[in-house]
Amino acid sequence: MTLFSTRDETEVSTTTEPALGGAPAGDGGNRAASGEGLTVRGLHKVLGGRTIIDNLDLQVNEGELVSLLGPSGCGKTTTLRMIAGFLDPDGGSIQVNGREVSHLGAEKRPSAMVFQNYALWPHMTVFKNVAFPLKLRKRPKKEIEERVDAVLELVNLLHHKQSRPARISGGEQQRVALARALVQEPQLLLLDEPLSNLDAKLRVKVREDIRGIQQRLGITTVIVTHDQEEAMSISDRIAVMNAGKIEQFSTPADLYARPRTEFVATFVGSLNRFEGSYRDGRISDGSDVVGVRPEDVKFSREPVPGSLPAVVERVVPRGHFQELFLRREDALLRSFASGESPAVGEAGHALITRAMTFRGDQRVDADQPVNGGQA
Amino acid sequence: MTVTLPERTADAGTTSVRKRRTFRPVGFLLALPPVLLILVFVGFPIVLALGFSLGFTGGLNHTVAIIGQNVHESTSGFGTLAAYQEVFSNQRFLTDLGVTVLVTVLATVLVISLALGIGLFLKLRGGRIARLLSGLAIVPLFIPVVISSWAILTFYSGDGFMRSFFAHLGVEFPVWSFTMVAVIIGSVWTSLPFATLMITSGLQAVPDAMIEAARDAGAGFVRIVLSVIVPMAFIPIIIATTFTAIGVVGSFTVPYFLGPNSPNMLGVDMSNYFSSFNQPQQSVVMAFAVFVIASGLAALYVWANFRSAKEQGKA
Repeated sequence: MTLFSTRDETEVSTTTEPALGGAPAGDGGNRAASGEGLTVRGLHKVLGGRTIIDNLDLQVNEGELVSLLGPSGCGKTTTLRMIAGFLDPDGGSIQVNGREVSHLGAEKRPSAMVFQNYALWPHMTVFKNVAFPLKLRKRPKKEIEERVDAVLELVNLLHHKQSRPARISGGEQQRVALARALVQEPQLLLLDEPLSNLDAKLRVKVREDIRGIQQRLGITTVIVTHDQEEAMSISDRIAVMNAGKIEQFSTPADLYARPRTEFVATFVGSLNRFEGSYRDGRISDGSDVVGVRPEDVKFSREPVPGSLPAVVERVVPRGHFQELFLRREDALLRSFASGESPAVGEAGHALITRAMTFRGDQRVDADQPVNGGQA
Repeated sequence: MTVTLPERTADAGTTSVRKRRTFRPVGFLLALPPVLLILVFVGFPIVLALGFSLGFTGGLNHTVAIIGQNVHESTSGFGTLAAYQEVFSNQRFLTDLGVTVLVTVLATVLVISLALGIGLFLKLRGGRIARLLSGLAIVPLFIPVVISSWAILTFYSGDGFMRSFFAHLGVEFPVWSFTMVAVIIGSVWTSLPFATLMITSGLQAVPDAMIEAARDAGAGFVRIVLSVIVPMAFIPIIIATTFTAIGVVGSFTVPYFLGPNSPNMLGVDMSNYFSSFNQPQQSVVMAFAVFVIASGLAALYVWANFRSAKEQGKA
């Protein structure tokens, strides 16, 4: 891979089969079998007597963008730092394109990292920041200039070549950090919460930039984030982490539609959560946990089969849709509705089109939509 | 209501401007005491001393000119450089000036190297030994210079610990008491705490991510230190360097206790010329020579601060 070549976007894995800690089926699986991309096996880390990473397996195929998504303290950054070589694992193996790297220091690994706070050296210009890795590799001056110019053009920052980091905006600094990583032509690109210091609008733009560049260059990429929307919008696959383990590793659509655990269902997307059981469109007493996505709750003025009478308790405008709080005899349900908004206090009917049941955190229901609801 | 509101706002605006105007002299008055203190107790004596060194022996310099020996008086209103010519043609002074510069450079290099070593050890490795070393480097701060000078004197004297210890091993250790080596050791001892505190805190302030980014780019230890840590802790290092050098160049107690009769540092010379030799004018000329060296170091400090401000986009 060089900076000057581009890659067919169709190579990106589009599998919908959930795969826990393993390679997805199809093309991606074949590439994984050939040992390309990142392979993590049995990664283990104990810090201060507490197990931070517990026997973690992860397969990222070549050219794939995978997000490590989870709440604070779940071990996602620790995992990334072990992959980058900043932290020694207590056990396990890390392979990049089939080569074991866990015994190598960060400076010897074929990976490059983009840090949360950009970590641009303030005493160097943008050019010098980006040229630094090439200088260390003792590349000829002309080659350094050409490669730095090419990568700065890629991130659209050529005009800031001679600026100091303090003189450019947060979004531009983030792109310089990305350029500094890309100029190394790494086999593996690691990004640690790369967008968390940017404002909401800029975050969307920079994440699209990152995704676009990653797809053009076809770099195997791992991103750490706690923002599920961010992970959903740019990842080929997402590894949802909790307490040092990967709870589920699958495509964004599959994670949302078919979460395997209550944790994943709650963490990815919104969820109406009830303790009880679900039968015939109704929530009743029980010892399980029932989860209903707000978009799977439909409000109508006229009764439909399976619906129960409901009163609109609250309407929260959310821009292009409304969030309704519907009081039924069995539960208070949140529902996402578009179109004309019902009035507070209006009586109607609420239908649950699809529900998930969890027992001991594991999904136990048959994964079938009811009453024609969409998955 | 709608009519009066803007008027009120306008009034409030005028009042705040008026208030700001009245506050300006008040602020100046508040800053006046320290300014006056420096002008009267530092600035004025400097001007008097400069006048005295140029042969202006009247006024407040009259008494010291009468008591002192070998005083060069100005016969014109422009002053005379006779005292400067005398001092700068004195071989002993020139040797002592050379010794002062040499001791200052060597002691400063040693102090900064030690402080940097401890600081880097603490920053990059950490651990108990690093914390112990940085703690030990502060100890001289709590021991009076006179006491530590005596301790160094007896430690390296003819019948001191080092000689006795090495004699047991059959090695003849040199006598360093009353030599410039002892002066350098003493200078390092007294200057190390401040430099260590300054540099250690400066290095600790370099974010770990900056170092990790350099490692990630492929930099080894030396490259990380030279290209990232030292430039990023440049200001604290320059402050420690200039303050150490200024402290050593004008030191008296350490060279007075530990150094030989001659050559010795200018601090001892100034004292000798002022009191023992009763030549206050020559003493003042030497003081101005030291002042010029210290001013050069101060200029370096100012330049470093300016450079840093420029880097951070503030200048």
